[in-house]
Amino acid sequence: MKKFIAIVGSNSAKSTNRELLEYMQKHFQNQAEIELVEIKGLPIFKKSIDKYVPKRALELANRIEAADGVIIATPEYDHSIPAALSSTLAWLSYGIHPFVDKPVMITGASYGSLGSSRAQSQLRQILDSPELKARIMPSSEFLLGHSLQAFDDNGDLKSEAETEQLDGLFKDFLQFVDISEQLNHANDVNKQKAEQFSWDIG
Amino acid sequence: MKLVGIAGSIADQSYNRMLLNFIAKHFAGLVDVDVLNINDVPMFCQDDDQTDSPVIQDLVKKIQAADGVIIATPEHNHSVPAALKNIIEWLSYEVHPFDQKPVMIVGASYHVQGSSRAQLHLRQILEAPGVNAIVLPGNEFLLGDVKSAFDDEGNLKDQRTIDFLQSTIQKFIKFAEVINMIGQTNSYEDEDLSAKKGTDTTIEGVDMNDENWLDKASKKVNAVEGDTYVKLDSGLLTVNQLNYFLKTIPIELTYVDENNQFIYYNRFLPTKDMLAKRTPAQVGDSLDTVHPEISRVIKHVKQVINTLRTGKTDLVSMAVPGSDDKHHVMHYYKAMHDEEGNYKGVNEWAVDIKPIVDQYLKATGQKLVKDPNAQVDANSGASEKPSVDATSGASEEPAKPEVKVDATTSASKH
Repeated sequence: MKKFIAIVGSNSAKSTNRELLEYMQKHFQNQAEIELVEIKGLPIFKKSIDKYVPKRALELANRIEAADGVIIATPEYDHSIPAALSSTLAWLSYGIHPFVDKPVMITGASYGSLGSSRAQSQLRQILDSPELKARIMPSSEFLLGHSLQAFDDNGDLKSEAETEQLDGLFKDFLQFVDISEQLNHANDVNKQKAEQFSWDIG
Repeated sequence: MKLVGIAGSIADQSYNRMLLNFIAKHFAGLVDVDVLNINDVPMFCQDDDQTDSPVIQDLVKKIQAADGVIIATPEHNHSVPAALKNIIEWLSYEVHPFDQKPVMIVGASYHVQGSSRAQLHLRQILEAPGVNAIVLPGNEFLLGDVKSAFDDEGNLKDQRTIDFLQSTIQKFIKFAEVINMIGQTNSYEDEDLSAKKGTDTTIEGVDMNDENWLDKASKKVNAVEGDTYVKLDSGLLTVNQLNYFLKTIPIELTYVDENNQFIYYNRFLPTKDMLAKRTPAQVGDSLDTVHPEISRVIKHVKQVINTLRTGKTDLVSMAVPGSDDKHHVMHYYKAMHDEEGNYKGVNEWAVDIKPIVDQYLKATGQKLVKDPNAQVDANSGASEKPSVDATSGASEEPAKPEVKVDATTSASKH
């Protein structure tokens, strides 16, 4: 069974993005093992002369390295991903490169109708940067709008249409992970490039 | 023009901060740039609102008081650094200092891109409804190969780059002037001269415009009087002593609180002899009652107060009707603030400065003569005699309060 790391893109105690990932964890438990990861508590990314990376970021990097793929659920703050998530991704590309060629599925939830669409599109660009170089599942979006009303008391998605869409996307993601394993011809080069991408000369 | 600069990086060494420092230094004759420090801003988290913390309040006040903002952004992972995004989140949550604020984006990077992608993201972010900044369109300043761009003194080496930067800043100055003109129109109109908004010290339950407001309001709050001591910031006086003191200051003083309520004047002259004719019955009145129902005057009063309230300037000064060969009457309006820097109202004083001018002429042996080339402008107003409003009552009609607020009228440069 595949193992995925699911990053909760919010540092808030109450988050419908966390709810979405918890739902996925439960709903897909027969298809994959999904481990939720919190980003609260990581300091704001800061370049330093000694290139210090917090221990928690290093641990997280190891877990991502070991996983078959990563799911990220991002809220949208000011048309973009939250600083806390942006900061986490910066730490995870500062001298360490766990995302290189790692299959990633982007999801997101928002209170309004847009479901964090702008944040997701910026996240795609961010994950595509040379220091991260993740393999983002293409042509795929899961935008959960009106997220406060989206779940029932058991934490299950109420809408059948949305459940069906998520089921399909997750199935695609499982397959995308398999395909990704074959898309590894440039893997060594990519790794090398990311490592060469030193933040202080880049 | 007063600008704040925000370097989007908190790195030990930041070329974007260097770029802003260069702008502040090199274009000092053009703009007055205060580069803010964002190093100690906590991570934004909805569970722990720190909007009221000094570090965020300081950013809010400085941005609000500025005519515009220059943001210099590096590019991290094809986007703006988390540290920059973080302050924008704080400044779009419970407070919105970027609202309607002109912003110019610049950026530096090690390679040729000059943070182009980050700048595009930043544009999108600044356009979000909670931020609502107004970003200078169509101009990008992308400084590539930044490691070799500066000399040892932190100056840009390439003259063409400097020239381009200067032309962009000049465009931004014009842009900011226009945006602020529109913004001011909106904001001063919200100034509530009927004083209905209230404030911590507003005395409830007594009609502001009551002729006996002073007595009724004093009774309501058990105000001390006579020989009761009052401990002041740097002194200890009785209420009587305070009155003796204020009444012998040969300048007409008026206190208008932050709620636009006229609550004090130092009555040392009968109303008819005053430069700004106030009556005891007016004490406690809201400003719209003090001022006559003439929309032009109301508009000017709103503009002056709003300029002070928003921190555009600390001092508005103007000549007012009533000046002649023997008198030159000036009115000054200074913003009052508490220890935390919150706006606390207007300290207004009216004074005839002719004796000072005479003294100066006597001491220097000079004479006043008319300058045939004199251009009357809003700031000097010296030879201007706007028509006197017979009904202007307790307060003067500000001559031309649409003063162009700039560093020269500001008592303190922040």
